[in-house]
Amino acid sequence: MDSPAANAAFAKQIGVTFPLLSDMNRKMLKSYGILKTYDPAKNNEGYEWALRANIIVDKQGIIQFVEEGDDAVDPNTALTMCTTLHKKDATK
Amino acid sequence: MKHMLALGLLAAAVLSAAPLMPQAEKSQVAKMTLKVGDTAPEFTLLSDGWKTVKLSDYRGKKNVFLAVYVLAFTGG
Repeated sequence: MDSPAANAAFAKQIGVTFPLLSDMNRKMLKSYGILKTYDPAKNNEGYEWALRANIIVDKQGIIQFVEEGDDAVDPNTALTMCTTLHKKDATK
Repeated sequence: MKHMLALGLLAAAVLSAAPLMPQAEKSQVAKMTLKVGDTAPEFTLLSDGWKTVKLSDYRGKKNVFLAVYVLAFTGG
């Protein structure tokens, strides 16, 4: 949800080598079902926030792995899946 | 890891106030719709370098790791 400018500053600060994307209008978060709402009055007009999530999409555009919420805080399972996919590609 | 592209999606501005949404959009919220084996929904987003990044850009080229990262404290 952050702006590209904020992401650029953060990318520079932590030295990432992959793109940091902004979903300012929350379209992607909604279509992936990651955007959640919180509303004490339960009328669905409260705050919105995104869950943490790790998603792996293969070269064919098929989802191979999904992890959300607390499970997604530790990226190791997803990374193992990345390695598996990579090895599978290498054997083709 | 050369064939793996990691995309970090930073959603650090946590509780951002939501605009009032029309009824049709409400049903899309709070529903985890992703399943392994499904085709990943297409998206077009701006990168930190102000470039347009589409999921389909990587079709047939790279596996994609999407990390939706909330509370990353980007300062944004």
